[in-house]
Amino acid sequence: MSITKLAFNMLIFPGGLFAVVISLLLMGIDRKIYARLQRRVGPPIYQPFIDVIKLLQKEILVPRSANFIVFRLAPLLGFIGMLVAVVIIPISGVYPGIDKSADLLVLLYLLSTPALAIMIGASASGSPYSAIGLSREMMVTIAYEIPLLIVLLTIAMKTGMAGGNFADFSLNHIVSFQQQNGSLIFNITMLPALLAYLCCIPGTIGVVPFDMPEAETEIAEGPTLEYSGSGLAMLNLTGGLKVVVISALAVALFFPSTLGGFWLVNLLWFILKCIILVTLSITVVRATRARMRMDQAFKFYLIVPTGLALVSLVLTLLSGKF
Amino acid sequence: MSNFIQNIGKKSPWLYRINAGSCNGCDVELATTALIPRYDVERLGCKYCGSPNHADIVLITGPVTAGVKEKVMRVYDEIPDPKVVVAVGICPISGGLFRDSYAIESTLDAFIPVDVNVPGCPPRPQAIIDGVAKAIEIWKERL
Amino acid sequence: MSSFLKIAFENLLKGPSTDKYPFGETFVPEKLRGKIKHNPDACMACHMCEHVCAGGAIHIEEAKDGSGINFVVWHNTCCFCGLCEHYCPTGAIHLTNDYHTAHLNKDKYNYIEKSFIKYVPCSRCGKPMVPLVPEMIEKVYGSEGDTKGLTKLCEECRRKTILKRGMFK
Repeated sequence: MSITKLAFNMLIFPGGLFAVVISLLLMGIDRKIYARLQRRVGPPIYQPFIDVIKLLQKEILVPRSANFIVFRLAPLLGFIGMLVAVVIIPISGVYPGIDKSADLLVLLYLLSTPALAIMIGASASGSPYSAIGLSREMMVTIAYEIPLLIVLLTIAMKTGMAGGNFADFSLNHIVSFQQQNGSLIFNITMLPALLAYLCCIPGTIGVVPFDMPEAETEIAEGPTLEYSGSGLAMLNLTGGLKVVVISALAVALFFPSTLGGFWLVNLLWFILKCIILVTLSITVVRATRARMRMDQAFKFYLIVPTGLALVSLVLTLLSGKF
Repeated sequence: MSNFIQNIGKKSPWLYRINAGSCNGCDVELATTALIPRYDVERLGCKYCGSPNHADIVLITGPVTAGVKEKVMRVYDEIPDPKVVVAVGICPISGGLFRDSYAIESTLDAFIPVDVNVPGCPPRPQAIIDGVAKAIEIWKERL
Repeated sequence: MSSFLKIAFENLLKGPSTDKYPFGETFVPEKLRGKIKHNPDACMACHMCEHVCAGGAIHIEEAKDGSGINFVVWHNTCCFCGLCEHYCPTGAIHLTNDYHTAHLNKDKYNYIEKSFIKYVPCSRCGKPMVPLVPEMIEKVYGSEGDTKGLTKLCEECRRKTILKRGMFK
């Protein structure tokens, strides 16, 4: 790809400006629906934009026992990781993604950079609350990565077996396979994988019931405790971008259908699918469940989503061989 | 341009509560103001945050007893500028019902600069929302 | 678990139940204990409210030039307990239902309710006195007999008048 096209992709569409605007919009819609589910009038939908603008005007305080350089640069790591991840995911009908052969694996590595950034930033803060949040974040990351890996492997294998290989890790091939043979969401053997993926989403974003790393009432906001001003704004933006990446990945993996050939219509259809996914998997779950303990969450992740994903994996293997 | 940014920024003040030896009456009213659907404070863009480093408006309850005085001043220093202090209830303003006690040195005024007072024992949630609205106006000037 | 989902869905249908306060009216009960209002015409400066006040908010003092009595309530220590209203013998002090009490800190010592009870000279001996309130005459001397002339007399003259004239007929 030429340099200008790459720069345009990274900075304006679909990375950079477009991703930031969509992420703040999704966060705003989530907060509004969450408030309506509790019979409150919530904040206006553009509230996260105002939050970020306000945070950029606050003073920055660095604790005396903190490692100064690592403390200031850690939020940048997650932000840049997520920006690159948005460029990789194809939006069907609008943007082809980076057309290389193993970008699903690269995406899997990039999906863990925000958690790494929070961990590094928390350990550079030098406060005991951050240390507790850091260890909880590590355990939750280990817990949800297992079913996520199995789901991605299942989908790659399904695409690969239709093409003659064992597994095909290219996102473009996955999207075109679904456009020829019907979306994977309508395939009965893939339904457990979809459920497993939906179970992984709250853990990845850090929402109730799996938000014990940043438990407000227990450890005073955990890893983000010592951040203020622009560092906090960047951490919030990273969280929002992760929502976009996760939902865009779900759309690309399970239901990338298009509505005709015009790119604007496909773009709006994509945004609508993201909104529906976020509402069902994040907001409704957030409004009706309570926070889980660390051991309960670990046990849940090792039994339920992993079991569902393994069922899908076995069914795919069996249907591929015969 | 800076006026525009001030006007935008004033729509999302984040609140932080400090209990300086209070009887918890005013703290219950503060919890009511945010979490009950009836007096929703999120309409004004406010949010209760868990860390003093994220806060803009501080709500302090309780007479400042001798055991907690140092800690309140340390937590006050952790809050980044610009900030506004609101004293909720009559205890931080004048000692309240406990003004003759051996544990109270002085009012909250003597230690940290207070901007808005909301007397009452405890004040009604609507009066607290009034106080927060006044504090938002002062905060907008300092942004 | 499904009961929570049902509640959440019903909440979406019912709509918000938020009180409209800063942007509209709110519900104020009639007997809400709010800020203090003092009626100087019914007060006889017996210091009972000052004695009973839990927050030490009431101060009754003679004015510097001796022309009356100053009655001051500092709202920043009043805890709205209502003891002063309960123990006042004439009903001169009562709590309204005004709860708008937020103010700026620089007005802290100005946030008071102040009233002035003027001395009147006694119609017999000329000594300045607090005028006797009609409710007290009712309580102390009963309602029969000729009590109207007693309101303008100081307590010495009142005692002498009753002794000499024999008011209770």
